[in-house]
Amino acid sequence: MSRVGKFAILGALVVLAVSAGTTGAARQDHRGGTLKLLAKAAGGTLDPQVNYTLQYWQLYQAAYDGLLAFTKAGGEAAFTVVPDLAESLPQPTNGGKTWVFKLRKGIKFSNGQPVTVNDVVASLRRIFKVKSPTSGGFYSGIVGAKACLAKPAGCTLKGGVSADAKKNTVTINLVAPDPELKYKLAVPHATILPANSPTSDAGTKPLPGTGAYYFASYNPNKQLVMKRNPYFKQWSKAAQPAGYPDQITQSFGLTVEAQITAIENGQADWTLEAPPADRLNEMGTKYASQTHVETLTAFWYAPMNTNLAPFNNVKARQAVNFAIDRNALVKIFGGPKLAAPSCQVLPPGFPGHVDYCPYTKNPGATWSAPDVAKAKQLVKASGTAGQKVAVVSQDDEVNKAVAVYLQSVLNQIGYKASVKPMSANLFFTYAQNTKNKVQINVQQWYQDYPAASDFLNILFGCDSFHPGSDSSINIAGFCDKKIDAQMKHALRTALEDEPAANKEWAKIDKQVTDAAPMATLFTPKHIDFVSKRVGNFTFSKQFYWLVSQSWVQ
Amino acid sequence: MLRFLGRRLVAMVFVLFSISVLSFLIFFATPGVDPASRIAGRNADQATLRAVRKDFGLDRPLPVQYGLMMKKLFITRDLTSFVNRGAKVIPQVTEAAPVTLSLVLGAAVIWVVFSIGMGLVAAVFRGTPVDAAVMIVGLIGISMPVFWLGEVVNLLTQSRFHDTFLFSWVPPLGYTPFTQSPFGWFKSLIFPWLTLSVLYIGIYARVLRSALVDAQEEDYVRTARAKGLTERRVMLRHALRTSLVAFVSLFGLDFGALVGGGALLTEVVFGLHGVGKLTFDSLQNLDLPVILATVMYAAFFIVLANALVDLVYALLDPRVRHA
Amino acid sequence: MGGTIAGEAPVRAGDLAAIGGSPWAIARRRLLRNRIAMTMLGVLVVIVVLCLAAPFYAKHVAHSDPFHSNLDGKTIVKGKSVSVMQESSTGLGLGVTPIGPTWDLHHYFLGADDQGRDVAARLLYGGRNSLLIGVAAALLTCIVATVVGLVAGFFGGVVDGVLSRLLDVVWAFPVYLLAISLSTVLIARGFSWGPFHLESGSLLLPIAIIGVVYIPYVARPIRGEVLSLRRKEFVEAAIGLGASTWRLLWSDILRNVITTVIVFFPLVLAIDMLTEAALSFLSIGVQPPDASWGTIILDGQGLLYTRPAVALAPGLAIAITVLSLNVLGDGIRDALDPRAKLRRID
Repeated sequence: MSRVGKFAILGALVVLAVSAGTTGAARQDHRGGTLKLLAKAAGGTLDPQVNYTLQYWQLYQAAYDGLLAFTKAGGEAAFTVVPDLAESLPQPTNGGKTWVFKLRKGIKFSNGQPVTVNDVVASLRRIFKVKSPTSGGFYSGIVGAKACLAKPAGCTLKGGVSADAKKNTVTINLVAPDPELKYKLAVPHATILPANSPTSDAGTKPLPGTGAYYFASYNPNKQLVMKRNPYFKQWSKAAQPAGYPDQITQSFGLTVEAQITAIENGQADWTLEAPPADRLNEMGTKYASQTHVETLTAFWYAPMNTNLAPFNNVKARQAVNFAIDRNALVKIFGGPKLAAPSCQVLPPGFPGHVDYCPYTKNPGATWSAPDVAKAKQLVKASGTAGQKVAVVSQDDEVNKAVAVYLQSVLNQIGYKASVKPMSANLFFTYAQNTKNKVQINVQQWYQDYPAASDFLNILFGCDSFHPGSDSSINIAGFCDKKIDAQMKHALRTALEDEPAANKEWAKIDKQVTDAAPMATLFTPKHIDFVSKRVGNFTFSKQFYWLVSQSWVQ
Repeated sequence: MLRFLGRRLVAMVFVLFSISVLSFLIFFATPGVDPASRIAGRNADQATLRAVRKDFGLDRPLPVQYGLMMKKLFITRDLTSFVNRGAKVIPQVTEAAPVTLSLVLGAAVIWVVFSIGMGLVAAVFRGTPVDAAVMIVGLIGISMPVFWLGEVVNLLTQSRFHDTFLFSWVPPLGYTPFTQSPFGWFKSLIFPWLTLSVLYIGIYARVLRSALVDAQEEDYVRTARAKGLTERRVMLRHALRTSLVAFVSLFGLDFGALVGGGALLTEVVFGLHGVGKLTFDSLQNLDLPVILATVMYAAFFIVLANALVDLVYALLDPRVRHA
Repeated sequence: MGGTIAGEAPVRAGDLAAIGGSPWAIARRRLLRNRIAMTMLGVLVVIVVLCLAAPFYAKHVAHSDPFHSNLDGKTIVKGKSVSVMQESSTGLGLGVTPIGPTWDLHHYFLGADDQGRDVAARLLYGGRNSLLIGVAAALLTCIVATVVGLVAGFFGGVVDGVLSRLLDVVWAFPVYLLAISLSTVLIARGFSWGPFHLESGSLLLPIAIIGVVYIPYVARPIRGEVLSLRRKEFVEAAIGLGASTWRLLWSDILRNVITTVIVFFPLVLAIDMLTEAALSFLSIGVQPPDASWGTIILDGQGLLYTRPAVALAPGLAIAITVLSLNVLGDGIRDALDPRAKLRRID
């Protein structure tokens, strides 16, 4: 918040200096130039309805719109959903099952084509036709979605989505009320694209959008280029604000070290990658004004397979929780300014979060120190001492270091532990599949949208456990019927009364933490390192740095 | 001769075929490698997973998948990546090739010049401390891990002494195309060239020295010396010329391997997007189409260089043809 | 072609017999007279002894367990207690830096790594793994290559054809692809085949991978040598006299070829150590928390900026070891190569 204030004053000073009279004119001074972003590698397909990486979701903010959008603003304000291509955020009728959206008029795609209700219907069908990763998770509640999931090619969403060209409205019918629909319609997978877009993943071919910028070219081995959308006129500053730079590029291929050096030398403006540990000190001192540290709603955790020895024993799982020195892990992540110890699922600042930590020297609200004696005692009581445990992790520096630390702790409390680091691309699916018999591994989860269910229900609900499948995000295989029923209840409560639902989630958080299907390690913070010339850095908690809202001149 | 050529050709095709099959099988034997769920995305629905698997033909028998992939790679030439969907594989390789070629050509010039110099000096001063010193210097070059040397070079030029006049001109890691700026191209490649050539200077200087020493025992060199030619003339005119045969054939083999992506570690350390880096990235991503393309590309150059060297020998020595 | 390893045309070992006297004794005397080679042998011995003393160093000098994370550890510098992992306290206070080399008695001669472990102790333990893998892989390469080369060269025909094509495939198969793919398979699952069972993370995996990759480098020259030996008078004569195939292989041909293998061994060992380092650097060799010189370079890469010693020390260790192996290899070759003697006379 303080940052926003500072820039408001700065803006006012500029206004006085040029005595142009309006803030608009002050802004004009900063318009133009090329913002040069860096990333180690490309983020895969550019299709906004298929891509599921933060790397491109961040860029989509300035290029694509859905019916609704998360507010483009700094801090927590970004969690609020506002109407985007729709005129307003409608109140659902029919007991929460029917949503009618009225489309704004006069908006055009970057190819000059006007946006119509037909485009909206086609785009919602396209989610299923291109087999969007969230088509089953987010949008299966729409009437007709089950048929679309089974047979994507012929998807019509009959009875689920219909358009009325005269009234310029689109109606969405749900099977059951869904309090989270507004979030699901505001993420990039629900982007509105021209109705004649290809019905398969567009891959590296950019699709026209409605945002302030459009993707001009994309070569996954070199560069991605965004330019101003010539047909864009700002209709809502909160939903889709105009941007400062004329062009935004993201270049691929340099190592992180080289990227940081390039930014320090002013040859590039920003890196997507987390900075390497040994550059942090320098960034925090010599380049402090260019370094932005922001809290995130995310957590690092070590899921323990509740169906496999030794962690099918709750005492063994709790022992691990007691033994982990979260301060040591915080050190691995770059120190207390970059991470905070945690014991529970919901991160601080998240709806439903109430401080809770049973796994510490003096159990209570927050973590203070490990209790190794208690851990050893629990291992003994569980009768699992001496068993072999393999810690699986990604093979990048930080993940591997966390795994090595966990291995060290497991040895200390009486197991025979080893580490199996593996390629990042392999790891995520490998850890999920029960066939691979992963006992404990190192994971991190970043929110999709700000609802407790996105953590608790998705990561520890019975519905996300699919034995033998590569896609089984409940990695611990944790399925407690009683807790699951409570989660379903909380989801229903949220329809009418969000605060009440959040209270229920807080209770569920406690119960899951007590059952310990995972050891929560810490909640990370996020570092953005920008070049000297980047101004007006704004960080949205939802989609991180709002790229187009910074200027380079 | 024709039969020899035919035999070599069949052998080449056999080797390439085996390598493609092996890569393919190794890929599918790797646990957790099934690309369907990675393509489908985080937390994808089971139905979506099945649909993606069907889309990419991953539900078909392995021989069929192999056949399809080879067809797309060699006949229709429209094989696309599993990771960057829609990205065609062949342009990726053709875009990477000039980078590797620039790296290898420059390094080759350096290592040939230096190794000939060192080899000659060592041979002329054979048995003296100069010989020993030159050979030890060459050995030191051979003995350093190339990626480590690259890291040390980066440490010096990019950070420790980057602010001093010595290295302030060094551009950030990465490649500048020759067409964009010849001088930038040179600046971005000079340290990778030097790093890569260090290993080969040592090897080639040794090969040349020993060939020169051998040649001096040959009759025609003794004859030349008997005729009263100076030692230097004998060395340069007669001994060097014949010694270059072993040198050139070794050069052919190494050059082939490097152009095919053998300079992987140098490319990775210096952030050069050559064939080696592409191979490395595709292995890290387990991107089978790119793995197959780069492996075939690399194997092709290795096999070709082998065949060419054999051919040269066959031309020089008829006995090899029947061996 | 011996290519990168051999560097020079293989010895024509068949000529050895012509010199007279016991060739082995001559070779040994010649090697002992080679001062540079002997110095390097001394260096190698020192390195091996140091590595064998790793547990002693860890226990009595470093006083720390190099395989246990020590993120909250303390040490004593100039009589004051200091954190091993030091949090930044200036500016934004970002980052944690491991302690650098401290020359205070007993601790951290080379500083700590990103887990707060003593790098010097890990370097010694790492050397054990690097040497062990190198020696075992080189033995594997030389033994298999000798057998393949002998069989292919001696029997010729279809056997030779099949074996030579196999060698071609291994030769042209990119080393790193083979290594990366095999190790992803094996590291994740381990390996079970009949009575054999390999735990994942076992050192046998890198040994097998590296050992197999270099077989063609040694097998090809041996095959060539056997081919030419087979045409020599004494072999033809033996065949004419009705000597059994096996007797011929063992007593006449192998005895002649063995010098080539001996010449190759230190050179293969040298290149194996470099390969082990490269594979571990690409994180597909030795698995943590175990160490090898390659993995320590990898650990040190993340600290190159603030604590370069972590990456520099193992690199130097590799360079020195490989250099002494190469020099020693040269010495052995010169000692076994009769032409070297001729040269000295002339």
